[in-house]
Amino acid sequence: MKISQLWAISSIVLAMGVSGTALAGKDVTMAVASTFTTMDPYDANDTLSQAVDKSFYEGLFGFDKDMKLIPVLALSYEVDSSGLVYTLKLRKGVKFHDGTDFKADSVKASFDRATNPANKLKRYNLYKNIAKTEAIDDDTVRFTLKEPFSAFINQLAHPSGAIISKAALEKYGKDIMFHPVGTGAFKFVEWKPTDYLKVAKFDAYWKKGYPKVDSILWRPVVDNNTRAAMMQTGEAQFTFPVPYEVADVLKKKSDLDVIAAPSIVVRYLSMNMRQKPFDNPKVREAVNYAINRDALVKVAFSGYAIPADGIVPDGVDYSVRFTPWKQDIAKAKKLLAEAGYPNGFETELWSAYNHTTAQKVSQFLQQQLQQVGIKAKVVMLEAGQRVERVESYADAKTAPVRLYYVGWSSSTGEADWAISPLLASDAWPPRLFNTAYYKSDKVDAGLKAALLTTDRAEKARIYREVQEELWKDMPWAPLVVEKLLYAKNKKLQGVYVMPDASFHFDEIDLMP
Amino acid sequence: MPEALSSVVTMTAMTREVRSPWSEFWRKFKKQHIAMAALAFVVLLTLIAILAPYLAPFDPENFFDYDRLNEGSSLVHWLGVDSLGRDILSRIIWGARISLTAGFVSVAIGLVVGTALGLLAGYYEGWWDRIIMRLCDALFAFPGILLAIGIIAILGSGMANVVVAVAVFSIPTFARLVRGNTLMLKHLTYIEAARSIGASDWTIVMRHIFPGTISSVVVYFSMRIGTSIITAASLSFLGMGAQPPTPEWGAMLDAARSDMLVAPHVAIFPALAIFVTVLAFNLLGDGLRDALDPKIERG
Repeated sequence: MKISQLWAISSIVLAMGVSGTALAGKDVTMAVASTFTTMDPYDANDTLSQAVDKSFYEGLFGFDKDMKLIPVLALSYEVDSSGLVYTLKLRKGVKFHDGTDFKADSVKASFDRATNPANKLKRYNLYKNIAKTEAIDDDTVRFTLKEPFSAFINQLAHPSGAIISKAALEKYGKDIMFHPVGTGAFKFVEWKPTDYLKVAKFDAYWKKGYPKVDSILWRPVVDNNTRAAMMQTGEAQFTFPVPYEVADVLKKKSDLDVIAAPSIVVRYLSMNMRQKPFDNPKVREAVNYAINRDALVKVAFSGYAIPADGIVPDGVDYSVRFTPWKQDIAKAKKLLAEAGYPNGFETELWSAYNHTTAQKVSQFLQQQLQQVGIKAKVVMLEAGQRVERVESYADAKTAPVRLYYVGWSSSTGEADWAISPLLASDAWPPRLFNTAYYKSDKVDAGLKAALLTTDRAEKARIYREVQEELWKDMPWAPLVVEKLLYAKNKKLQGVYVMPDASFHFDEIDLMP
Repeated sequence: MPEALSSVVTMTAMTREVRSPWSEFWRKFKKQHIAMAALAFVVLLTLIAILAPYLAPFDPENFFDYDRLNEGSSLVHWLGVDSLGRDILSRIIWGARISLTAGFVSVAIGLVVGTALGLLAGYYEGWWDRIIMRLCDALFAFPGILLAIGIIAILGSGMANVVVAVAVFSIPTFARLVRGNTLMLKHLTYIEAARSIGASDWTIVMRHIFPGTISSVVVYFSMRIGTSIITAASLSFLGMGAQPPTPEWGAMLDAARSDMLVAPHVAIFPALAIFVTVLAFNLLGDGLRDALDPKIERG
């Protein structure tokens, strides 16, 4: 806590030095919440690094600001009847920052690197289904999959699926993470991990007339209040996230816009179904009835969230809407009595995060559960404890997790990545994040079937059944879907926070 | 003239002998208005802490009013409402109980252990002295809060462990203080007299030396409580002490940080509670020292 403040202060001092030397022009400073882990999108696990990598990298496909799939370096694609072979036509006249032409050979080089387990890239899992990538001619590339996977184009659109210059890959090898060379609107200038990342306009960018600004300075500033202060003084033109509590303060500044954007970040309370008393569906139902989601939105999120109306949030492909749970204390008590706990019970509520919002949510849930007789001891886990006690706990039978407050966003924008890692039976910790230890043959079968079909209507039907089953089985108490709160200077245009908390800044411009 | 002066001195000495040490102390103490005010506050605070269940207008943890989040002072909620809809006054009243208990118990443990070690070291000297004092030196080498954080890291967070941590870093100061007094007292004639009539070590230490150290120990005790309260609150502020939703003052401050810009009262009142309480204990300690120190004669 103290250390982060120190960093914040020292980075402000440094920024003063930096901004002093900047030339007059359209230079934008964007303040974000944490440091960037890498400049190699295939080796980044965090949304922020991937978002920032979009300054200099582009994929074959991408998402617009509302997370709708759009072609970028590819123009079109075809799938054969087996669902295994995807043939893509590529855009012509695109240049890399190193001056070489964008052609099929760079696509092949990028994906051959990603799918080679020897490279130990963090995103290997996302692309390991690719059996081979072939350059048919300069403008045509063909992917052959190991198994049919109907969300393949979404995977290509994931921000990690960047096309790196083949010449640069050969030149830098493993050091490509320090020397990013892509086709994006900005070329890499300098990265000082704790201070800033600087990128400058790429004059030969293929989209005529873009980018409209000369440079972007990405500034990691950990402390929430420092970031807010940078917006107030005009030192930064954009910041994300804005803490809910200071939104009203920033709104009072006439030159700032505070924007609450819809998100696909769902927050929920998972209940360990292998353990008493949560093995009893009546208990899980009682927990769901005990919580007043509207009040939660007000207390912990200052109004910047909506009560969860599904397992998969709106905005993710194939998500289904349900009626949010309404608080009913009497019903909850009755259900507990029927389940054999007329006087309630004691349990533990673990929070996956220890930041302020999570503290408020946990204490709020504690208050709510107390009303129906469930006495929950709150434990705020730090990242290390979370990994040790929950995410990498090996034995399902003795897993100590009971009530667990956590969240998820599906960065591929489709239902499989929103459900499978959290609720499939092969996703129990330590493999993935099924912290409810939920197992349903129907759901497992549905998830598998959906991946094998390429027919949208059929897929929608299967995913609807899966989500209905999940809503009925209640492995979670779904809580809220967060809104993403960001602030920008009114002069800054064309920058958006996308529903998965990534950034969209293709149209970035700074008005005089 | 010299004769006259000496007779006056004898006179005062004689009148003084009539007073018990207790009334002598009280006579000196009550002249110090600031210390008296501090004492009155400490007594009041202790009463509030004891009577918390009857005094607090609302349940400190389980009352919540979601329609008045972060609202300032009102007739219903005298000190306002916090970000989770709880009554701040009730939480501060219950917090007094936690803070006073933590401060008192931890220093009391430090006092008992430290005094025992100090008596041992001072009376026997030799190896006892060397070992105990070197251990104390080692503990002194750490800044207090760092030592406490280290102990919490080993024992785990929680209020009981905070008490232990604060106690541990109170021990060496008491030990050193008592040792010094003991070293001085044991060479005085009355101790020699006691030894010469065959009193056991136990009797000499407990009946004749220990009472002589009490005044400095009491002074230090009252001043140390203030420090301990602030250390316990700091540890809670850092998330190592009382866990939410316990209404501990430091923990309340920690929780208030995020709302400080929009609702300053959420942070101000617990901070004031800590400030006033620690100040009162320190002023009380100063007053006690002045009243108990025979070298200081006022009025």
